[in-house]
Amino acid sequence: MKAYSDLEFLRLNKWQKMLYKLGRFFSSIPKGVAQLFIKLWGLIKNVFLAIGREAKDIVSTFIHGDWKTKVSYLVMGFGCLARGQILRGLLFLLFEIVFIGYMILAGAYWLSMMPSLGKVGPSEVYDEIFDTYVTTYNDNSFKILLYSVLTIFFIIAFIYTWRINIRQNKIAEKILASGKKLKSAKDDLRSVVDDQFHKTLLALPLTGIIVFTVLPIFFMVLVAFTNYDGAHDGYASNLFTWVGLDNFNTMLSWSSAGGTQSYAATFGEILAWTLIWAFFATFTNYFLGMFVAMAINKKGINLKKLWRTILVMTIAIPQFISLLYVSKMFAKDGIVNGFLMGMGWIDKALPFWEDATWARITVIVVNIWIGIPYLMLIATGILMNIPADLYESARIDGANPWQQYTKITLPYMLFITGPYLLTSFTGNMNNFNVIYLLTGGAPTNPAASSASGSVGYTDLLITWLFKITTGAESKYYLASVVGILVFIVVALISLIVYNVLPSIKNEEDFQ
Amino acid sequence: MKKLLAVVLTVAMLLSLVSFAAASSLAGEYEIKVWVADKIKDLTEKQIERFNETNEDGIKFKAVVESQGEGDAATNMVNDVEAGADIYCFAQDQFARLLTAKALAKLGVKAAETVTATTDEGAVKAVTTGDGTMWAYPLSADNDFFMFYDKSVIPDEDVDSLEKLVEDCEKAGKYFSFDLKNAWYNSCFFFGAGCKSEWLTDDDGTIISVDDTYNSDKGLIAVKGMKKIVDSDAWNSTSEVSAFESNSAIVVSGIWYSKDAQKILGDNYGVADLPSYNVDGTDYHLTSYFGFKLMGVKPQEDKVKAAALHKLAQYLTGKDCSLDRFEAVGWGPANLEAQAEEAVKNDPTLKVVNEQREFSVIQSAIHGSWWDIGKVIAEEIQPIAADDVDGLKQVLQNYENKMAAVFTMSSAEKEAWTVIGMYNEADGFFFTDYSDGKETWTADLAMVKGDNGIWKTEQAWPMEAGVEFKVRQGKSWDVSYGNGGDNFKVEEAGTYYIVFDEAATTISLEKAE
Repeated sequence: MKAYSDLEFLRLNKWQKMLYKLGRFFSSIPKGVAQLFIKLWGLIKNVFLAIGREAKDIVSTFIHGDWKTKVSYLVMGFGCLARGQILRGLLFLLFEIVFIGYMILAGAYWLSMMPSLGKVGPSEVYDEIFDTYVTTYNDNSFKILLYSVLTIFFIIAFIYTWRINIRQNKIAEKILASGKKLKSAKDDLRSVVDDQFHKTLLALPLTGIIVFTVLPIFFMVLVAFTNYDGAHDGYASNLFTWVGLDNFNTMLSWSSAGGTQSYAATFGEILAWTLIWAFFATFTNYFLGMFVAMAINKKGINLKKLWRTILVMTIAIPQFISLLYVSKMFAKDGIVNGFLMGMGWIDKALPFWEDATWARITVIVVNIWIGIPYLMLIATGILMNIPADLYESARIDGANPWQQYTKITLPYMLFITGPYLLTSFTGNMNNFNVIYLLTGGAPTNPAASSASGSVGYTDLLITWLFKITTGAESKYYLASVVGILVFIVVALISLIVYNVLPSIKNEEDFQ
Repeated sequence: MKKLLAVVLTVAMLLSLVSFAAASSLAGEYEIKVWVADKIKDLTEKQIERFNETNEDGIKFKAVVESQGEGDAATNMVNDVEAGADIYCFAQDQFARLLTAKALAKLGVKAAETVTATTDEGAVKAVTTGDGTMWAYPLSADNDFFMFYDKSVIPDEDVDSLEKLVEDCEKAGKYFSFDLKNAWYNSCFFFGAGCKSEWLTDDDGTIISVDDTYNSDKGLIAVKGMKKIVDSDAWNSTSEVSAFESNSAIVVSGIWYSKDAQKILGDNYGVADLPSYNVDGTDYHLTSYFGFKLMGVKPQEDKVKAAALHKLAQYLTGKDCSLDRFEAVGWGPANLEAQAEEAVKNDPTLKVVNEQREFSVIQSAIHGSWWDIGKVIAEEIQPIAADDVDGLKQVLQNYENKMAAVFTMSSAEKEAWTVIGMYNEADGFFFTDYSDGKETWTADLAMVKGDNGIWKTEQAWPMEAGVEFKVRQGKSWDVSYGNGGDNFKVEEAGTYYIVFDEAATTISLEKAE
């Protein structure tokens, strides 16, 4: 869409301006996506270029280095030891010994089993004397997968350390050639708490992230390429093995199997509802929360603290309790229907959880109730921060309250809470609690209920994923596929929205 | 020299006998973990203590008894068999899941004989797969469902008729709580009409096929019956007796809630077996599943410990322990001797359980998918008009399609040809169902692929003249061949291999030598 100059833009009427802005937004999306891919491509290119540079450096260090350096290629830390840096040298050497020892004792076995994920499953024989069946457990696919992933991480760590070891030699040669002295063990120890202190501090969190976050994620992604499920637990029942892209084919194929619609159709339906839900859950809370905050902030409102406390009470009660309770309240024989019927306003119970549309609207409304207090707290702080003179001058210029809101309050709020809106949108896409505790996905969608668990009209992708894992056949592999797809959807939305956010684009606007 | 060798060998043999004798004794101390329902935790601890004192094998268990609800126990076992308990209790509906996860050890031959002789016949059937492999010890026999009702709303003379009950509830503005969004409960309409849904298992506990007649004229009767309650505003889908507190007059549930129901309803507590529904002038009594609480032993790598554990499980499900549990928590025993006790026979709640048992189907291994497939029926028929027969039939057809999809076939199976045909008196190799006077071909006979696309049955079968069959691919009727469009007919009695030429699509018979 053609960009207008300021003058042209000002000549448009209100609707045309709005249309123009919308058009600009949507026409910028393809460009944004294209830029994203260009960036990604650049990133990949840079990684390969970096690897190339490293390789070149490794080779040239070998060619130009002295014999100590050359031996260091095989015996890590040799160069350091030979040049008197005993502590460094010993650490390098120790790491190499541990690595080689591990590879011989365990790593080689795990890696060799990785392509098959186990060869011999459990077996069972009858023992006549004891009149009992005796089981022998053999390979364990789960452990093989886990430990081979660990081994691969270990190998990467080793290669990295080996590379440092070589660079150390190069640096040491250079320092010696320039006639300076090398760092002693004492200097090294001091630098750990001095100029290298950031590394010391980060060591623990980094290890934690790798062990508790990166490794499990990597492992779970790999599960999507296996047939790990309830009947193939890898140890006690059957081994599991690699199946390539079969699971992705199943999830993304449009061919329906026996009476139920295809996985792709089910995925599409749930995704659509997930997006609708995330949109409404985010923006209803946002605007209503802001409205409540403004109403309470208004001059002349008494008992401000009381109103805030009452609203914050909903945060004080754990959602787990309040949501389950609300779910009962809106049941067919619950207190809400009972009251309405008792008053004679309705003849038969309203289908809050029985009808798809009713259930969808009800969860959004209940979510407003639990979401407003958070927004109110955030908005209260921000609203108080808006300079009062802005409003004053607006009033002098004759702006009505609505104009003040759209020209001052809203832009200010959007600018500051833009990133918050984005995180809350993605958070709502994965809002397991509210949906699971309120409806459990109900009412059931008969067409989408397949052999791997029933699907309801209020199910989000995340509750569907939960149902797949805990369903009759515990299809962990399908759940893993859904998880990966959810990540892709969320990542795409986040990246696009993030790049068009005013807080990112026009950073200086409100400073 | 030879003598010496003989002596050495004899000594060796004797020694091995001695060690043999030592190894065959169960005496020793074992550390085990036991999972039981919270209600019977203390009782079970005492019972294990008693077993330690009284058993003749010198077995001593150091048992850690933990409380685990019967549903959770199975889930935790399935999640991690290694970390699970050595002995655990579970409800009937978890049986198939545990079999799939191989979390149950088979009973030994003698143990199976003992259990068969001393336990309720239905319970034995419920823990058996294939040709008689038993997998668990029946703990109690009381898992069916019946009706609790509020006597102040429901007159006693109406409890046999579903239509009257619905009418009473509507008139009083009360709810009829019947959890038809659960396959376990809504199956009673189908079984009542004479449908069946039986999962066929093999000796390893694997479910191989299903014999299910929901999609039939009888099934149509069942959904018509179900419409009567589903269409009413009085219908409320729950099995919690707390529904009495929120305006329900009837709750269909099981023995586990009898005490709670009595507490809530007080003098108005009424209990009865399930009612009948009437379709086109005929009454059909609602027929519930009848299941059992079971005790399983986890597969063990140590045979001595395994044998000791089986002894303990037998003891815990025996007469004395069953009676203990009956007295303490009111569980109906599965043990025959315990069932024969006067106190058990005269228990009022168990009486209703057993009245309902007259109209029940033994619940055995059920494929886990069935619960999800079956539970949507009530919701699916709700928007369909009661006289829209085609619409109702479509629901049953959907059900059948979903059931068929449970057994997903590998590509090799999809391409394989099988024989399907008429029942044969001589040997009965093709299964068929004559129960409703109409024959249906229900089982496929495998064929083996030879050279040049020639498929042949694995063995020769004796056939009478007039036996009819067809050959089909992938166990579906999409591609099938007979004699032209008709079935292939055997003209002369004899013992034949059935041969199918895939290229020429012709069937022929090959006489066995």
